[in-house]
Amino acid sequence: MTAVRVAQVLLTAFFFGLTFEGIGRKVTARIQKRYGPPWYQNFIDVFKTLTKHGWTHGWIFDFGVLMALGGVIATLSFVPLGNLVAFPGLDNFFVIVYLFTVGALGMAMGMVGTGNPWASIGVARALTLMLGYEVPYLIVITSMLYFYKTSNISNIIAAQGEIWNIFRFPIGALVAFISLQGMLGKEPFEAPIAPAEIASGPMVELSAKYMGLLMLMNTFMEFVEISLFVDFFLGGGTYFVFLLKYLVVWILAVMISAVLPRFRIEQAVAFYWTVPILLAFLQAFLVINGWVF
Amino acid sequence: MMQTLITYLAVGSIVGYLLSKVNRHIGPIVLFALSIYSLIILWNLPTGAVENLYGFEGVLKFTALSRYFSILSLIVFASFSFFNISWIDKAKNPHAFNALSILTLLGTLGIFFSSNLIVLYIFWELAVLGSLFIVPMGKEESRKAAIWYIVISSIGTYMFLYGVFMLYSQYNTFDVFEIAKYLPHESSSFKWIVLILLLAAGIAKSGIFPLHTWLRNVHGNAPDTFSAVLSGQLVKMGSYILALVLTIFPVSVMFSEFYNGINLLSYLLIWLGNISILVGTLMAIKQNDMKMLIAYSTVANSGYILIGLATLDKVGYAGGLFHVINHALAATMIFLSFAAVVYRTGTTKIDELGGLIHRMPVTFVTYLVGIISLAGIPPTSGFISKWMIFQSLVSRGMFVTEMFTFIGSIGSFLYVFRPLAGVFLGQLKSKHKDVREAPIFMTIPMILLVTLTVLWGIFPQQVLMWITDIQKEFSMTVFQFEGTKLMTNMGYWDTWTVFVMFAVGFIIAAVIYILMPKGKKIPLEDQYTSGEFLHNYDLYHYASKFYAFFEREYEGHPSFEDLYLSFVNVLKAVGKGVDYLARREASAYLFWTAVVLVILLWVRW
Repeated sequence: MTAVRVAQVLLTAFFFGLTFEGIGRKVTARIQKRYGPPWYQNFIDVFKTLTKHGWTHGWIFDFGVLMALGGVIATLSFVPLGNLVAFPGLDNFFVIVYLFTVGALGMAMGMVGTGNPWASIGVARALTLMLGYEVPYLIVITSMLYFYKTSNISNIIAAQGEIWNIFRFPIGALVAFISLQGMLGKEPFEAPIAPAEIASGPMVELSAKYMGLLMLMNTFMEFVEISLFVDFFLGGGTYFVFLLKYLVVWILAVMISAVLPRFRIEQAVAFYWTVPILLAFLQAFLVINGWVF
Repeated sequence: MMQTLITYLAVGSIVGYLLSKVNRHIGPIVLFALSIYSLIILWNLPTGAVENLYGFEGVLKFTALSRYFSILSLIVFASFSFFNISWIDKAKNPHAFNALSILTLLGTLGIFFSSNLIVLYIFWELAVLGSLFIVPMGKEESRKAAIWYIVISSIGTYMFLYGVFMLYSQYNTFDVFEIAKYLPHESSSFKWIVLILLLAAGIAKSGIFPLHTWLRNVHGNAPDTFSAVLSGQLVKMGSYILALVLTIFPVSVMFSEFYNGINLLSYLLIWLGNISILVGTLMAIKQNDMKMLIAYSTVANSGYILIGLATLDKVGYAGGLFHVINHALAATMIFLSFAAVVYRTGTTKIDELGGLIHRMPVTFVTYLVGIISLAGIPPTSGFISKWMIFQSLVSRGMFVTEMFTFIGSIGSFLYVFRPLAGVFLGQLKSKHKDVREAPIFMTIPMILLVTLTVLWGIFPQQVLMWITDIQKEFSMTVFQFEGTKLMTNMGYWDTWTVFVMFAVGFIIAAVIYILMPKGKKIPLEDQYTSGEFLHNYDLYHYASKFYAFFEREYEGHPSFEDLYLSFVNVLKAVGKGVDYLARREASAYLFWTAVVLVILLWVRW
């Protein structure tokens, strides 16, 4: 049974993740008054890159790519998609957050293993940005864990009932959304991959199936990040309701990114460590005193 | 048995010295044999055994806490000595090095065995003395580092000794179990003073702010393999004192509650831990010397240990203790892999290295697993302790402390990545083209440590058993676990399931990888270079000022090291003044005669 549920989670992330990315590209294009690629463009991209002959820079590059995708698949299987939970009771928030870093580390290691300094710069920026967005995000989420006295995500979904957490913890939801934008690497927090500035950063030496595998990894990472937001703040829901909520959050993030320029990396960290962190502490203060709607 | 072990080690120290005179490789073998022998003995020794030491009655007691710390120390020492069999070729004074390392082991085991505070103090000084004379055998700067070491260590130990004497004058006993019965009934000011004095030794030794400054100098400049012992084992002596003092005197009962079940003393300690994490993390991020970088990370991790221990609840305290063993293993792995790198290349500067993964893969894997554990990423054991500490903090709603622990945790990804990218990945320097993998005696202990870390990350029962024994001994509520399932009030997780899912994910990725067309291997020089033609690929490596954009944000930070150095300057100036006044010249004699006369007139004798 567990294997079926894991497969269901992974296939959902694969089909809907890529589809929603395609829709996102379409939305961005329309905002910029372009026609844009078809919604299934990302499927074409992944399959095309996977079937090409590429170049490798040695075993650590190959291993890094495998570790990246493997780590993210492992993470994804613990994330509840609404009421679809592959491992009931094991969806501990901290486990998911830390398991998530396995994939990120694998990617960083593999890409720096190519020996291209652009990749190192991109990874250095990505890690620094992570230091920015994770801190306010974790404070907000842990204040909710404290409020509900559990760190199991499904329990929090269940505890929300009719009133979603976005109404109970509006400040927290705002902070989490700002952090989500950084996690997704969308503008204005796009410095780690800045294509025109540092030659796409970590991706600079990627070709063929390595590119394809990392595109899949990126899709799965986005799926984990947005799913966590939907679970924590929008009440999860049944399978299709969950996907609908997911789509709304995703389109919102895409629309914001389509109209914004990009922060320099130190500006981004300075931003996260001023406004969102203060708001996060305000939310935590409200939670400690029980002032929750 | 404990007395016998101490005797063996004392004899072994002399024997090791003499045999090293014959052949320098024998010394490490003696230490290795002694560590393994002690490990087997202590693993099977039942807890609660009381023994005499050379006629002093009942001063040694083998508790669960002693067993835990002894075992981790012996693991570190066993790997260190095995590694040294090859490394000793590079040591400056091999016989003294060998004898003193055995003496250090003797001192530390003695600390963990003693139930008598004055005996503990003597062993403590023995361990410090042993290590003190090893430190100057390192780099050129290491003589100064030794001074840092002895001064800050003495601050801690003399405060400890003063606290012990205060207790003796009150109760006429040095036995810590006796004292623990009386202390809770004392006046509050006495309790505060005594506990702070006793804890000071632990704070100084484990590198907690504000006594953290010695770590960078000492770990950074000590002989390369000995840094592994310093960071992996000697720092844990401090954690031992913290764990012992916080629980044997029931601190949680003795002091009033301050915030959500945390008493005031613990709360202050947690704040010291917070600052240590912040200082350690931010300073580690900007180091260019890989050993100094990990030295600062030790400051941050000691902060985690202190926070965990100071929460004094079943999850947090267990997490703190678990973090002790994790950090010991991780720091040993990392410093040993650095020692292997220095053994082959002769430098510790990150920006003078690069691409060594293509020459030293085993060393790289050791470093990689070491940092994965240090940064607390599953499936290594490092994650379990961090998870426990986080659970404890979240369940108490300590959001400010959480902020520091999160910064430390994510900051650790930043600083551990710096040597990874600068030393092991990236472009291989042309002068290092002929570097070979470290000798077999170096790789064996490294591989064993890697295995142990991953094994305890998947099956942590053994370690958790030791920890729950300690908690039972101090009659705390114990951390709950069933097999690989770790449980708290806030939820549980299963190390085995997570590992299996990780393996499944990896297999899925591997299957896609294998099914798809094979990539062609190209050399490191075949790069996207933005259209430039490069003559020197040594320079096409991003390693110096790795986080320049972030370091700029806290450039002008205040430094405690500078503060202490300014005290040193004040002392030097006073010394110069005394020198001037005490020189053997007529004017000085005249001055002192005048001073004596003035005093005589003033008191009218």
